[in-house]
Amino acid sequence: MEAWPDGRDAATESTIAMTAIEQPSAGELVPTGPGHEGVHDAHGTHTGVANAKLAMWLFLSSDCLFFGAFIATYLLYRGRAGQSGPTPQDVYNIPFTSVTSFILLMSSLTMVLALAAVQRGDYRRFRIWIMATALFGATFIGGQIFEFTEFTREGLNVSTNLFGSSFFILTGIHGTHVLVGIVWLVSLWGLSMQSRLSQGDSERVEIAGLYWHFVDVVWIVIFTVIYLLPK
Amino acid sequence: MADTETETSEIEAAEHGHEPDLPQGDLAYRMAHAAPNLLPGEVRAHPDPWQYVVVAVVLAVITAVEIAVSYMEGDIPDGLIVVLLLAMMIMKFFLVASWFMHLRTDQPVFKRLFVVGAIAAPILYLVVLATLHGVLAD
Repeated sequence: MEAWPDGRDAATESTIAMTAIEQPSAGELVPTGPGHEGVHDAHGTHTGVANAKLAMWLFLSSDCLFFGAFIATYLLYRGRAGQSGPTPQDVYNIPFTSVTSFILLMSSLTMVLALAAVQRGDYRRFRIWIMATALFGATFIGGQIFEFTEFTREGLNVSTNLFGSSFFILTGIHGTHVLVGIVWLVSLWGLSMQSRLSQGDSERVEIAGLYWHFVDVVWIVIFTVIYLLPK
Repeated sequence: MADTETETSEIEAAEHGHEPDLPQGDLAYRMAHAAPNLLPGEVRAHPDPWQYVVVAVVLAVITAVEIAVSYMEGDIPDGLIVVLLLAMMIMKFFLVASWFMHLRTDQPVFKRLFVVGAIAAPILYLVVLATLHGVLAD
């Protein structure tokens, strides 16, 4: 009898595989290790992955196209001749925006540390990291409000010119995404405070984390393309 | 008969040192061979917290270099600045997506979904930009 590399014979391997294919019962526990003892099920879906997580990835994939449309519009309208009012060179405050961008970037670190904490059942650290993430996000939003206020004082608003319209729409929609993320994170923190978020719910935190990291990667693109590239 | 052939090809694949191609049994194969500390859906275990910190430090350094390069406008050609900034932006994008969003450890289907959107968007809008740039200039 020919054997697999780990020593099992082919017939045993085939039996294991067919059993797993034919009996994917919902709620079935899978082998897990230290810190993960029997807290996750095998999803019981045809794809073998959690439907909620798959849906989030589909949403993020489509959101790439959504943000792509606004970035393309900004690039198209930014340098148009004949526009009255302030230009990007007149209003951008790169040092200030760099600081808020750095804060948002670091919020991705605290988010992933929150996920790692809940996965090992360390709820105290989870609450610290998830609240830190929400606070970093709130700081970013505060910076964006300050920036918008400054731009308005300098005579640039959403209807001043094409640059203003495309800039405020793009960064405003991103800011709205950040706000939704903050509400989501705070709700997870609240659930944890009420002991309604356990180690077994770590996938909920992971899905919120995927959204948060996506908001971060979109800002990575916006910061470079909108603020840093030569005007 | 067909089952026997499939089983034989799986054994041959295993003997040659790579995972057998199991159209239906892929999940079952991975479950049967899962490392003990994997969560469902993972192909590899999530990184340790210290690895996340290292990635964050790398991201911070790249961001600092990005900002420094943006201040070199006028000192080096604009084309070079654009290439450098876009290269660093892509590095940061993939660092966050692969490490923090766990695309390197999760099932490949997530990576495929995201890559489709992340690649389709720039291609689509580059075509739009190339088309409309000329139209709006007229």
